[in-house]
Amino acid sequence: MAMSASSNYAEKVKRNLRLDNTIKSDVVRELSTHIEDKKYELIESGLTEKQANATVTRLMGSPQLVARQIYEVYSQGSWLQAIFAALPHLLVAAFFALHWWQNTLWLLGILMAVVITVIYGWFHGKPTWLFPWLGYCLLPVMAVGVLLIYLPGGWAWLAVSAYIPLALIIVFSVTKKISRKDWVFASLMLLPIPIMLGWILALWLLALEHENGFLSYEQLYEFAPLIALSFGVLALTVATFIRVRQRWLKVGVLLTLEIFVLILMALSGKSSINPGVWLGLVLLAVILLLGPALLEKKSKQPNRKPLNLSRRSTTDFRQSNNT
Amino acid sequence: MNYERELLKGSTDSLLLSLINRRPNYGYKIIKELGKGSNGYFQFKEGTLYPALHRLEKAGLLQGKWQRLPSGQERRYYYITPKGQKALVERLAVWQDFSTAVALIMKPTTG
Repeated sequence: MAMSASSNYAEKVKRNLRLDNTIKSDVVRELSTHIEDKKYELIESGLTEKQANATVTRLMGSPQLVARQIYEVYSQGSWLQAIFAALPHLLVAAFFALHWWQNTLWLLGILMAVVITVIYGWFHGKPTWLFPWLGYCLLPVMAVGVLLIYLPGGWAWLAVSAYIPLALIIVFSVTKKISRKDWVFASLMLLPIPIMLGWILALWLLALEHENGFLSYEQLYEFAPLIALSFGVLALTVATFIRVRQRWLKVGVLLTLEIFVLILMALSGKSSINPGVWLGLVLLAVILLLGPALLEKKSKQPNRKPLNLSRRSTTDFRQSNNT
Repeated sequence: MNYERELLKGSTDSLLLSLINRRPNYGYKIIKELGKGSNGYFQFKEGTLYPALHRLEKAGLLQGKWQRLPSGQERRYYYITPKGQKALVERLAVWQDFSTAVALIMKPTTG
């Protein structure tokens, strides 16, 4: 059976509208009632149902444009949301800038704040501010991988090679779940990973130059302001992401500022990261920021159910328009 | 972009506030009333009305409520809020000054 004009049009708007389900269903329902009213008016004026369907679809305008304009109405977060979303990056920046890393209590405090915030956000509708915090929940996954390097002898490489696929599966499944809501949220979550990996790598290469394989406090002091600056830029990136309305601008901000931080890392002169590794980090950043779009596309394909919002027939609409 | 479209773009919010201030209404009827009230001058692309209505609602100038019609069907009616009424008064004052000033300058030349 062919879909009605309202279902067909509303389905197209729904597919392009990446908003909370409550707003989405309200918008789709509203557009459907408008289409049915207009369709009834056209049929009353002498058009056949088929002609009325075609005319009303044309009169409504592009569903992609309507979806984009409605998205831009709701996509801008408040300043408070922007600050709260940027807060985990600001905490990490402060952790290095104020040398909190010398005190384990600060580290534990930050970790607890991350866990509590993520649990709260996860069970309160997964708002946009949650995703930068969620990214830091993946930090222990990476940290375990790094610690495995310090296992004695050949065990280190054996453990790392076994651990990497496991870590990737965890990151992949979380990303896939978030991408179902909106892929840009997954990009927002994965944003700090290339930066964290870059700094871990830079510090590790530096530690290798030492006989005992550990960094000295002086070297960490030297790196700390740069690490703090890079996370400060990430905080700015997230706040801008929340405040801009246009989707292309949100993605553009994530990509541009992430690559800017990686350039900052390469030009700092303190890191021993060679151009090949640096290019690898840039490639990883692009994959992590744009890859979720492919995941979302793939996960949405088999589940396209047509909307059936026009529960009433055209004759019902006749009554309403006469009221 | 043509001049008429630019003018309409800048006045859409004021037109909607003005119309809804007279009587709360839903999207389909708002378009009808805009067309009828302007002797057919304002012809909106129907779908693009909704982003404008939702933008005004998000700004707190309008409030949308689902209401059941006597036929049992539901429509989303838009009501003007006190903030919307205040904004409308300000916009009307600006519009009156502006249109008076424009009329003084932009007189058709004769002879």
